[in-house]
Amino acid sequence: MKPKASARSKRFDFIDVTLRDAHQCLWSTRMTTAMMTPILGAIDRAGYAYINILGGAVFDVCVRYLHENPWDRVRLLCERLETPCDALTRGQSLYTFELFPDDIVELNSQVFARLGVEVLTVYDALNDNRNIASSVRSGHAAGMKVNTMMTYTLSPVHTDAYYVARTRELVQLRADFISIKDPTGLLTPERGRTLFPAVVKAAGGVPLKLHSHCQSGLAPEVYEIAMQSGFRYGYTASEPLGNGASLPATEDIGARARRLGFRTSLDAAALKEIAGYFTCVAEREGKPLGRVAAYDPALYEHQIPGGMISNLRTQLQTMQMEHRLPEILEEVPRVRRDLGYPIAVSPFAQYIVTQATLNVVQGERYKTIPDEIRKYAMGYYGRLAAQPSDEFLERAGIQPGDLVTERPGEHIEPWIPRLRKTLGASVPDEDLLLAAFYDKPLLEPLKKRAPQYEYRTTPLHELIRFFGSRDDIEYAHVRFAGTEMTFSA
Amino acid sequence: MMHRPAVAPMRKESLTYEDVLRIVQLVKSTRFSEFRLKVGEIEVQLKRRNGASADASAPPVAAASAAIAPSSSSVPGRTFAPDARLVRSPMVGTFYRAPGPDAEPFVEVGRHVEPDTTVCIIEVMKLMNSIAAETRGVVAEILVANGAHVEYGEVLMVIGPDPEDG
Repeated sequence: MKPKASARSKRFDFIDVTLRDAHQCLWSTRMTTAMMTPILGAIDRAGYAYINILGGAVFDVCVRYLHENPWDRVRLLCERLETPCDALTRGQSLYTFELFPDDIVELNSQVFARLGVEVLTVYDALNDNRNIASSVRSGHAAGMKVNTMMTYTLSPVHTDAYYVARTRELVQLRADFISIKDPTGLLTPERGRTLFPAVVKAAGGVPLKLHSHCQSGLAPEVYEIAMQSGFRYGYTASEPLGNGASLPATEDIGARARRLGFRTSLDAAALKEIAGYFTCVAEREGKPLGRVAAYDPALYEHQIPGGMISNLRTQLQTMQMEHRLPEILEEVPRVRRDLGYPIAVSPFAQYIVTQATLNVVQGERYKTIPDEIRKYAMGYYGRLAAQPSDEFLERAGIQPGDLVTERPGEHIEPWIPRLRKTLGASVPDEDLLLAAFYDKPLLEPLKKRAPQYEYRTTPLHELIRFFGSRDDIEYAHVRFAGTEMTFSA
Repeated sequence: MMHRPAVAPMRKESLTYEDVLRIVQLVKSTRFSEFRLKVGEIEVQLKRRNGASADASAPPVAAASAAIAPSSSSVPGRTFAPDARLVRSPMVGTFYRAPGPDAEPFVEVGRHVEPDTTVCIIEVMKLMNSIAAETRGVVAEILVANGAHVEYGEVLMVIGPDPEDG
């Protein structure tokens, strides 16, 4: 047990999400490696304890849309940053929503460690900790620390006692850190006052981290409660990429920590430089900045992410059924209850919305049930938070004998022998993993050469880069402090 | 605040990100073919093609839903035999005849089906929905090509009476 922290030694430390969750939430995950490299020096000086560089969506968007090899990004960031890097996976599902066998999960941990990742962060969207066990084991075996996350949601079954029970499981798994992850910003200061001390107590000295988003506008206050309850770390983002659907701004939480008497290692000058840089990048690339959200009580009703609602509206428009959106949003909580309160994050948010839409549009509840929802309800992806309703089970034709009770990873055969046979014995582990996750055509574009990255920047650099990025500028002449530059297209 | 710089004279000793932001916003928000700026130590001179429109780097439009693509397979105004049973799409989605890319189709024309026989899959918002025949009979027609976009209520297949029945 750690000695009880005295007022003098109280610290609160920070984990940066600017290169990961912040742009996932605000820029549709479209921050390229080239946008990151110029400012890495300042990020290193900012005083973060860890820097989160990878998550499921970042990996996937690198491959599908940015055509960057995600392993190259991980290697480069780990090499360039002296601050320890943290990479996140979805446990047995790694970067996707399907389940992978244990041998792929284990190889992924080995590749992380080899590329320089120091902390493996892992969570399961059902909070079934059997789905992260193989990650924790292989992460430790590869020499990494492991940060385990439990996902917060609101439901009659997700009580403080539920999270205390999950915390005890994570302690049993020998997690090095335990995080509460609040992907839709549902935590309130009131709930934090009961939940956080209970979890700190159950963690028995394992340091806690808070990862909460700002949709409700309450996250900064929730962070204060976490600090006061004994949490050691908070995940935050550089100010232009903080707030809104993203996490709180480092600058804001740092100021709150100091006001509450905590010491931090934050460097205000470096943070200002990072914020200035990303503000300019956002302007140049036409990307939005995070805005502080106003408190929105509706968020607590359906809990559906805003992006998904706008997507659904578009679909309904094509069916000339947009007027039925309110009915669907009313059906959403009922479906969630019938399904045993899945957390409204991917992929379960899609399950809930799709099933609610089918129920309303077909005019009959559960006439059509997507195959994935049936598998979910049988426990194929992991343990449910609560028993599905009888009505649902009956319509889905699920009998008690159909239920899957074993650990989901248990029913998947190893893949590596087959992949080595197809790809050749000498295939690098990184390529083998990519082949396990993606079809060949998707991997072709990753073979292109990476651009020459810039590792330094100044405001003048950014001004020049802006002129260079515009096709319509045919001539630019800049003179500043004894330097003179002319460009022409 | 960082991203809302106050309108203040630019500092002379060093160019800041706030200065850059103000220049960038100025360039983006105006139409011009020539642009000259001299404040303190900094001097910027630009020439632009045809005084092109202000914003070439507009925010990206969210990826349009696949549901917007027009249907290539609908058969408007078609009539069916009175004893034909129609299998319709429950939602806007994508039609698949087989459980996987290399798998055999669920049914072919002429195949006998029971009410619970799966005849196709409709992918809705990335989720797979197995569609049952919901009637006993023989597949008379498959109206939609594999992988095609289908509309809500669109007829996918026609199930005719089984000649061996009755």
